[in-house]
Amino acid sequence: MLSRRLATPIPEKRSGSSKTSTSPTDNYQLARRRTLQVVVSSLLTECGFESAEKAAMETLTEMMQSYITEVGRCAKATCEHTARSTPTLSDVVITLVEMGFNVDTLPVYAKRSQRMVITAPPITNASVVPKALIAGQKRTHPTYIPSHFPEFPDPHTYIKTPTFREPVSDYQVVREKAASQRRDVERALTRFMAKTGETESLFKDDISAFPLIAAKPSAIPYLSALLPSELELQTLEETDSSEQDDQTDTENNSSNVSQDDQSADKENVVLPPGGVVPTGKANEENMIDNPYLRPVKKPKVRRKK
Amino acid sequence: MLSYKQNPDPSGLHSRRCMNRKKDKGFEICINNINFQRKSVIGYVELTIFPTVMNLNRIKLNSKQCRIYRVRVNDLEAPFIYNDPTLEVCHHESKQRNLNYFSSAYTAAVSAVDPDAGNGELSIKVPSELWKQGDEMKVMKVYIEFSLDQPKGGLHFVVPDVDGSMAERAAHVFSFGNQNSTRFWFPCVDSYSELCTWKLEFTVDASMVAVSCGDLVETVYTHDMRKKTFHYMLPIPTAAPNISLAVGPFEILVDPYMHEVTHFCLPQLLPLLKQTMSYLHEIFEFYEEILTCRYPYSCFKTVFVDEAYVQVSSYASMSIFSTNLLHSGMIIDQTPVTRRCLAQALAQQFFGCFISRMSWSDEWVLKGISGYIYGLYLKKTFGVNEYRHWIKEELDKIVEYELKMGGVLLHPTFSGGKEKDNPTPHLHFSIRHPHTLSWEYYKMFQCKAHLVMRLIENRISMEFMLQVFNKLLSLASTASSQKYQSHMWSQMLVSTSGFLKSISNVSGKDIGPLIKQWVDQSGVVKFFGSFAFNRKRNVLELEIRQDYTSSGTQKYVGPIKVTVQELDGSFNHTLQIEENSLKHDIPCHSKSRRNKKKKIPLMNGEEVDMDLSAMDADSPLLWIRIDPDMSILRKVEFEQADFMWQYQLRFERDVVAQEEAISALEIFPTPASRLALTDILEQDQCFYKVRIQACFCLAKIANSMMSTWTGPPAMKSLFTRMFCCKSCPNIVKTNNFINFQSYFLQKTMPVAMALLRDVQNLCPKEVLNFILDLIKYNDNRKNKFSDNYYRAELIDALTNSLTPAISINNEVRTVDNLNTDVRLILEEITRFLNMEKLLPSYRNTITVSCLRAIRMLQKNGHIPSDPSLFKSYAQYGHFVDVRIAALEAVIDYTRVDRSSSELQWLLDLVQNDPVHYIRHEILSMLAKNPPFTKAADSLLCNEALVDQLWKLMNSGTCHDWRLRCDAVNLYYTLFGLTRPSCLPLPELGLVLNLKEKKAVLNPTIKSEQGPGGPEYRPSSQPNFENRLTFPTQEEEDIDMDTVHDSQAFIYHHLNMLERPSTPDITLFQLFALIFTGKEPSSVEQAMLSMPGTPMPTLSKESTSSKHGDHHHHHHHHEHKKKKKKHKHKHKHKHKHESKDKDRDSHAFSNSPASGRSIRSPSLSD
Repeated sequence: MLSRRLATPIPEKRSGSSKTSTSPTDNYQLARRRTLQVVVSSLLTECGFESAEKAAMETLTEMMQSYITEVGRCAKATCEHTARSTPTLSDVVITLVEMGFNVDTLPVYAKRSQRMVITAPPITNASVVPKALIAGQKRTHPTYIPSHFPEFPDPHTYIKTPTFREPVSDYQVVREKAASQRRDVERALTRFMAKTGETESLFKDDISAFPLIAAKPSAIPYLSALLPSELELQTLEETDSSEQDDQTDTENNSSNVSQDDQSADKENVVLPPGGVVPTGKANEENMIDNPYLRPVKKPKVRRKK
Repeated sequence: MLSYKQNPDPSGLHSRRCMNRKKDKGFEICINNINFQRKSVIGYVELTIFPTVMNLNRIKLNSKQCRIYRVRVNDLEAPFIYNDPTLEVCHHESKQRNLNYFSSAYTAAVSAVDPDAGNGELSIKVPSELWKQGDEMKVMKVYIEFSLDQPKGGLHFVVPDVDGSMAERAAHVFSFGNQNSTRFWFPCVDSYSELCTWKLEFTVDASMVAVSCGDLVETVYTHDMRKKTFHYMLPIPTAAPNISLAVGPFEILVDPYMHEVTHFCLPQLLPLLKQTMSYLHEIFEFYEEILTCRYPYSCFKTVFVDEAYVQVSSYASMSIFSTNLLHSGMIIDQTPVTRRCLAQALAQQFFGCFISRMSWSDEWVLKGISGYIYGLYLKKTFGVNEYRHWIKEELDKIVEYELKMGGVLLHPTFSGGKEKDNPTPHLHFSIRHPHTLSWEYYKMFQCKAHLVMRLIENRISMEFMLQVFNKLLSLASTASSQKYQSHMWSQMLVSTSGFLKSISNVSGKDIGPLIKQWVDQSGVVKFFGSFAFNRKRNVLELEIRQDYTSSGTQKYVGPIKVTVQELDGSFNHTLQIEENSLKHDIPCHSKSRRNKKKKIPLMNGEEVDMDLSAMDADSPLLWIRIDPDMSILRKVEFEQADFMWQYQLRFERDVVAQEEAISALEIFPTPASRLALTDILEQDQCFYKVRIQACFCLAKIANSMMSTWTGPPAMKSLFTRMFCCKSCPNIVKTNNFINFQSYFLQKTMPVAMALLRDVQNLCPKEVLNFILDLIKYNDNRKNKFSDNYYRAELIDALTNSLTPAISINNEVRTVDNLNTDVRLILEEITRFLNMEKLLPSYRNTITVSCLRAIRMLQKNGHIPSDPSLFKSYAQYGHFVDVRIAALEAVIDYTRVDRSSSELQWLLDLVQNDPVHYIRHEILSMLAKNPPFTKAADSLLCNEALVDQLWKLMNSGTCHDWRLRCDAVNLYYTLFGLTRPSCLPLPELGLVLNLKEKKAVLNPTIKSEQGPGGPEYRPSSQPNFENRLTFPTQEEEDIDMDTVHDSQAFIYHHLNMLERPSTPDITLFQLFALIFTGKEPSSVEQAMLSMPGTPMPTLSKESTSSKHGDHHHHHHHHEHKKKKKKHKHKHKHKHKHESKDKDRDSHAFSNSPASGRSIRSPSLSD
């Protein structure tokens, strides 16, 4: 009777709040706590209390829970200390001893006469493991696989799933997509640059409309204006590799652009590739006598500068 | 120790030099220090002179801006005098603002230092110890130490403002100049006719290379090993203007085909240099082959520099190019341009550098020959079509220029040297010196010169022509190996008479009339042709008329070729243009019949099927061409029916004929023209430039046919068929520019299509969307060529599609009221311009197009007009093409918005910009798109501007001949030849007359006799003040109070009497009353103070003449020179006449005379 009086108000409230959070783990937690409360209530009744303040009840429940948790944690630690994964009875005993509990009193206490029997907590949503989606029919084991082996997983996890949309191979769509993609990238990039740097505007009233990245003079303007940009070089390499056949010597020459950058003076005299190259190229190279390639002379002693 | 001596006694300088010609055999120049940090140069020169006259006591050399430390003649210190009259053309002349006066003063100044006349800025007195030696005609050695500090002309330093050593910064220096400008960087005889051999030494930083003329003998380190000295020897006699120098941390490329040819470029550009130079050997081979002569120098060097003065400049054994000519293999458009530049430079190596000229008037021979052989190269490399197209282009150019500006004279003769004998009175500059020529004129001069060479070729055949060249070259090369003493060197100088003599020797033909017509005479021929077919006689009656009265034209008498395409074939007829014969009867070969089965033979032997339904059933004529070979420098306006032009376009195989037909078809907007043009567009055998021209013509025709046009917009379906995908016609194929003809067509068609207009005069929506789609779907990933020019032209197409915004009472342009189409366009432009910052295109072509587009948007009122964006792009440090485009926009803004601050900004740039080319371009663009002209009033036209421009040409541009002529040109465009009208009336009218020693009235007065003269503009109101205060400052003997009082009094009365009804008589009687008994000068004063404003009937002219009189008095007071008095009489007489005319129209009674007849003859009747 008393227990009912004690127990009823709290779960009701809980259930009210639990309405909002209905996840299985939450429910499980709530059920456990409710059980604990019942335990605390019954212990109190055992000790002769007729009623208890709610706050006191909560505090006691909290203490109880902490104690049990601590026992569990310590027992686990003890067990892991001995390189095991599952705590045994002796682990718990050691723990209890560690926590200053007289273990010998436990059997007596457990067999006390006025002990109240509490029903086991209801198993609410204990198995929270979601059910896997079953798509298609699972394959049965072939004959050479014993039946006790695990079943095949769902077919969709290991075989090609047939889809009914054609891959985008329509020329128009591809072009459209490439164009809009490039445009989007360009727009985003330029907008970003415009937002992060200095800008100029075409309109006085709305500076943010059509922002133009500010023109910055450079010390050597001809370099960027004359040298092909990296993108162009890249394009060139790509087209060259793909269209190696119909190359003329001029293109070939420019394809060497990137290598030429590091070329030493000696390489300057290398003939451009192509059909016109004389066979004795190596000899030729050594024979080139150009005054600008000659070594600089050391000053003569009599020379006065 | 400081500088040269300023000449204390100018009269001493002008005394005639005792020596007509000195011959400097050897010339040694040594520059031993080039400081990039300070932009200074120190060196010395040593000339060896062979006096040819007795008593050589004075040596004149050319030198500008050099600081001369010492001069020694044969180791004796020699005193010297430095005077450069071109520094300031008009001395102590603060008020004179008349271009006629300036031009003559400038010519005189240039003549005063003209080396060909034995003059020079630097006059060295030969030490008296040597005089005797001079008598014995001994060699003299003149040694001059000099330095240059921050030279403004002659040498250009490019020192980029980045970190690192000078070599890492790509700092370089090079010589430049217009014509003979070597005097700017070392003292010399700066003449093309003074040849000598050269020894050149340049000591530069060890990281640098000094490239100069001649053979590099050796390179030696200095003792500290930090510098090296480049020793050059040029054994071939060369004129000083053909000497050049370039120093910089150049990358060196030995030409793989010709090891004696070396190329130099700035750091990092070597790959481009390799690509660009890969075809130079072909040009060499070509010239050597046609001239049957080896390249005259033992080596050749090409140097590519930044901030070049001109694209191409040739010097003895080397050429300096703009670095912007370099290109990679991905660039299509630049390649032919650069090839042409190289070919030009090389042609000038033969004629211009190796063979120099006797005098300035022989320049046309050199320019003519080099231009002509360059043309032959074009023909060989780019084909006959390209060549003929080029000839037509050049011919059109020269014809247009001469008809607009007056004749171009190739070989001027100056008899007597008097100004009156000016052979080109129509020009606002003198053609006596290369340094007084307008740049535009000089370009046209070169153009005409090579066209005339071609005419000579037509006359004597190419074979003989090349023989003549070969003869000139072989004589010169024989001479070049001789010693000076053998007196052979003059063989290396070409003269007009020598050239003509060789022609007659080689060909045996008399080309006298041809030379007289085109070389000794200026002007082109303007023909008008029309015809009628006489069916009875089966004769073509051709009428050819000439206009030889308008400016720039001349009369042609002689043969003319006419080609008639008939049904039976093409027939050439040579007609004789004579004095009075206009009509020519040409018998026809074929009857007007229709044999449908028969093919029609063409000129080239081809036989074609034609649909003859369009032609006139009675006439066998298909088309007629006048002077098809362009063997006359002429413009032909020929009238023939539209179907004849259409046949000509379709079936004539000559590109010139096709182009003529296209331009003629513009005025025949018919479906047949449309069809003919479309057919040409589609025909891929047709020359691509013709097809390009057809695009624009088709756009024009479509606009004229707007109401009857059927089908999609012109060219759209054609473009779709040629360049778009088969499966999805709205999407353009991915770029593949391997076929250049279709590349050019693909580039051009959208630009032409954007010119289409609908009934509302807007670009059709369909066309705009089409262009936007082209931009959207442009995909260059698979292309081996860059698409930067293509994209730039797509932006140009967007620009072309713009039409003026519908403006509602001048509202402010905001983002919100932007037209939706314009918004799309603007978005594309913004994106392109921003992308360019991240991935710059070759030569920033896209930025250039975007700037033009933005200016067009502003101009059409879509976005607010604002120059600040352009000004930021015009800054130093942007690529030169971008700067030019931005400046063009600023100049346009200045004109449209009449902004004086922008004009000021531009003029400041002209004075301060580091790049000479930019300065030149600003002035020439201003002259092309002037903020105002002499014809129209403008608030911009004020005294301060006149003063500024005057100062600019008078002294501000003394370091650059070209720039000075540009300034003169601009001044001419803005104000004309006479005194600018915005100036205060000519107080100094008389001063001018005295100086010029002419009895001519101040030209201002003349100019204001024109229509609109009597109007007194409010803008001249302030001048009133000037006039008043002027005499009070200058003349102390005038009673100030009297003047002021009387002035106030008159003014008061004038205001009272302002009403039109007031009889003038009263007014003048009033004056008479007031001034009776007053001192004469104050009477004058009071009269002067009578402004024109309150009295509309009094012409400005009369006011100005009063001023003249006023001055008359001043001068009487001040100078009292009889000579002047004499002049004044003249002047008065002149005024009398003009006054009379004026008086007739305005009913001025005799009244003014009553007060002023005594000393105001101009007003007395």
